[in-house]
Amino acid sequence: MLRHLNKLRLVTLTLIFAMLVLLPFLSIYQSYRAAHAYDLLAPAEQQLYDAMEWLTEPFTDDPATDLDALKGTTWSANVFGLKLSDPLALAGQIAAGGRVYGPFLLSALIPIVLTVLLGRFFCGWICPATLLYELNGLLSRWLRALGLRSPTRHFDLRFKYGVLALGLVLSMFTGTIFFALIYPPAIIGRELYYAIALGGFGAGAIFFALTLLFDLLVSRRGFCRYLCPGGALYSLLGRYRLLRIARKVEQCNDCTKCDVVCEFGLQPMRDGFGQECNNCTACMAVCPTDALAFRFSLTDLPAQGAGHLGRTHLRHGAKSATGDN
Amino acid sequence: MQRRAFLGDLIQGAVAAVTLGAVAPNVGAAPGTQRYLRPPGALAEDDFTAQCIHCGQCAEVCPNRCIRYFGLENGLASADTPYIIPREQACILCMKCGDVCPSGAIQPVAREAEEILERVHMGRAQVDHRICLSWQGKTCGVCYRACPLPDIAIRVGRLEQPHVLDGCVGCGICERSCIQIPQAIRIIPDRRGTPMSSA
Repeated sequence: MLRHLNKLRLVTLTLIFAMLVLLPFLSIYQSYRAAHAYDLLAPAEQQLYDAMEWLTEPFTDDPATDLDALKGTTWSANVFGLKLSDPLALAGQIAAGGRVYGPFLLSALIPIVLTVLLGRFFCGWICPATLLYELNGLLSRWLRALGLRSPTRHFDLRFKYGVLALGLVLSMFTGTIFFALIYPPAIIGRELYYAIALGGFGAGAIFFALTLLFDLLVSRRGFCRYLCPGGALYSLLGRYRLLRIARKVEQCNDCTKCDVVCEFGLQPMRDGFGQECNNCTACMAVCPTDALAFRFSLTDLPAQGAGHLGRTHLRHGAKSATGDN
Repeated sequence: MQRRAFLGDLIQGAVAAVTLGAVAPNVGAAPGTQRYLRPPGALAEDDFTAQCIHCGQCAEVCPNRCIRYFGLENGLASADTPYIIPREQACILCMKCGDVCPSGAIQPVAREAEEILERVHMGRAQVDHRICLSWQGKTCGVCYRACPLPDIAIRVGRLEQPHVLDGCVGCGICERSCIQIPQAIRIIPDRRGTPMSSA
């Protein structure tokens, strides 16, 4: 059962990305509706109008106003009157303006509570950049099949906390929310809107392309692991999260598949999850013996040693068994 | 070794970013070369850039598609912030952007004449008598007919000559509709903006 969660996660990521592509089209469609000018549209615009009309007709009679119920991106969204915002945006705004704006704090509250309970789940399950970074990883594997090996340098995972701190300081000095310029989910939502509705990518798209190259040419998932300020904030918020992945040592056979598959370079097989784990469940999906499962606890299990189905344990376990006798 | 070099590069980049940030308002276009409006209900300029989270929802909700976004041309601080060039597409004062804005950079203002008059300060129209047809003796009056707040924001005198009144909030529809090229009526932006409500 649990091993299919990873597929569900990829479906979720794809759907969220598809929504980010669809919403700008819906926004254009709304303005066409508001203008009452179907006959004046160019043929391509009429096609867009027809497609969006077909899509929204079952749900609304008055798309020009009703579609206002669904706006925004994963950075900040309006979902049927409920405003949801990224905690990183809140942190940046407090640093930039030196004050807390009540309604905005409220809009970030639900994500904050979820992150405290579920940890860095945003990174694995929602972030639109994650989908692209994982596709980028796929590209890297294809290149390896062709004989072009991408280097996998390792840096200090704590580096991103420095980026977070630096971002807050820069927000304070420039008086603008600096994270919006460098935080991939904010960039992607915005740039998709620019490209679809305003006729072209902005400067953010270049920055995002550079992070893709960084992942491909320097370090696997390097941006998320070492540089992302959002990831840093969620790691801190989710340090004492309730939902964790834990290894059942009796069922583990030390195959290391989970260590290899982990996008964040963690070591599930050595019980090394920590605050970086985003509960993406990729390790569960590859485990041949179903040794990884969810566990409700405020702390990770301490290192449990070799898996009971593995060679090391069978050899040494047998020895200690004889020693006991 | 590699890692040290990498860290060094990053620190250099960060220092560059700090210095860039300090002079950001002066980087790119020289200040004042662009005459733009912020959306209705926007805070005073400094507060606005500190409060706006660059989410893009105001343009997404704008039925008139008058809201655009800066790239880096107006300085780093206003990158990806919304603006309106009224001559290209003016604001129709639907006030949807203030409702959708999560960050308070654009304050919610009810779509009622009284509240709009009291709280919206995008700018104020200014007539150039040398270009204005009516002031040149050819009866026009288009700006007055286009104005969403006639006789409050603008009134016409002899030969439909426009006079801008104190009620003008600066939506820019007069500038958009002026039939002269270049336009005889322009919005001079009011950077004091809307005061933040005590919400």
